[in-house]
Amino acid sequence: MKKNKLTERTYFDKVHTWGRIWSVTALAVLVAVPVSICLYFNVWPAAQDVFKALIKVIPLYWGTAVIEVITYTPMLGAGGTYLSFVTGNISNLKLPAGLNAMENAKVRANSEEGEVISTIAIGVSAITTTVIIAVGVLLFSPVLPYLTNPDSVFAPAFTYVLPALFGALGAGYFKKNWKIAIFPIVIGCLVLVFAPTLVVGTLLFITIVAAMLGAMLLLKLKWI
Amino acid sequence: MDFKESGIMYAIAAVVIAFVIVQSVFFIVKAWKRAKELGITKETLKNTVISSALFSVAPALSILTTVIVLASALGIVLPWIRLSVIGNLAYETVAAQSVLDVFGVSLSTEVSDPAQFGAVAWVMTIGSCFPLVLLPFLCKFVHKKIGAAVNKSEGSSKVGDVLSAASFIGIISAFIARAINGKTSDGVGDAGFMSICVLVSSIIFSLVLETLCTKYNLKKLQPFAMPLSMFGAMGVAILLNMFAPESLVSFTWWG
Repeated sequence: MKKNKLTERTYFDKVHTWGRIWSVTALAVLVAVPVSICLYFNVWPAAQDVFKALIKVIPLYWGTAVIEVITYTPMLGAGGTYLSFVTGNISNLKLPAGLNAMENAKVRANSEEGEVISTIAIGVSAITTTVIIAVGVLLFSPVLPYLTNPDSVFAPAFTYVLPALFGALGAGYFKKNWKIAIFPIVIGCLVLVFAPTLVVGTLLFITIVAAMLGAMLLLKLKWI
Repeated sequence: MDFKESGIMYAIAAVVIAFVIVQSVFFIVKAWKRAKELGITKETLKNTVISSALFSVAPALSILTTVIVLASALGIVLPWIRLSVIGNLAYETVAAQSVLDVFGVSLSTEVSDPAQFGAVAWVMTIGSCFPLVLLPFLCKFVHKKIGAAVNKSEGSSKVGDVLSAASFIGIISAFIARAINGKTSDGVGDAGFMSICVLVSSIIFSLVLETLCTKYNLKKLQPFAMPLSMFGAMGVAILLNMFAPESLVSFTWWG
């Protein structure tokens, strides 16, 4: 038992070490993109122009980033988190991929089994997405606008991809835990009445807290 | 040749794509080895791969749509790079528009000035890179603290199970709430008749497939159940758009 605990700690510690190295490397690769563009074309935008745009973007996205790291890390596991934040599209892709895989494998998010399953699912999802986007851009970019433009017959399918995705993902959970599900959905809907365009990262934080508090209350009342 | 789609841009894209794939392969290999040590069966791992790959197809196509939307102003390569690393559907559009506002142009016009193009690249990058600065400091701390709290509660198995389910449900609830009552920044896909029909269809498809898998012990169908339900619901969206009255299709709570 003692040995298992030691092994587990060692694995998580290793993941954090790898993750830190990859995060810093990813940051360097990311910053290299605008640097390369500016160097190659020999154009350096005026700092005040960049700053004027950033002042609109940073308060929203940097604040959300803090909430997202705190919210997603326990759900995605260490490896899944490091991978997801580099490859992006977390809420609409990596998070549901990780949750779906853990549900299918019947493992808990915070266990070591959950950690490895989530990492594999998110890694596969990242590769699949990257390949699809690359193939789409390189081979199909001339025809893609016909598929995705608002007049295309397929357009509604892409417009409503998130309800389709999360309905399918949530069905099993809601069937098993409908008493827990009601409260966070109601809270989420109420919040959206007052802040209809609230960013997903913040809404997620609210509904997760609501679900946890609601579940604790139901447990206390012995309704579940 | 358009500078936005020149050789150097494709070379930068190739480096970024290679980086993302190498990193993903690295973590998959490490996790796979550990999974074997933990005794997780090959079948479970295989199902994880199949399900995750299938599951990612539709959202990936949706991301591709954003690449194309941004391509009219920025060329195809920069949006492709940005949506392959860190980027997300909403952020990149807002970031690009914020810079172009400064220059008095919009996303519907093609950017022809390399300096403006460089500014867009900088804002997209600086705005989105903050999680990568936070992660090395915060991830281990959050992971350990929350992990300790959950493990403590798992002392009572029932409490652990309930809290674990509640946190998953909390995540999904945010998106269900958005499908019921949310509004998008550009007004496309606001909650209303279509979003609720798609949501309900995907729930029904998922429950039916799950029942079939359990009842007839269809283990091979199980990894496909979730993606099939999603595609089924997307098909419902297409059919409704074709055959339902226009007044219903366009109905949203937000007018």
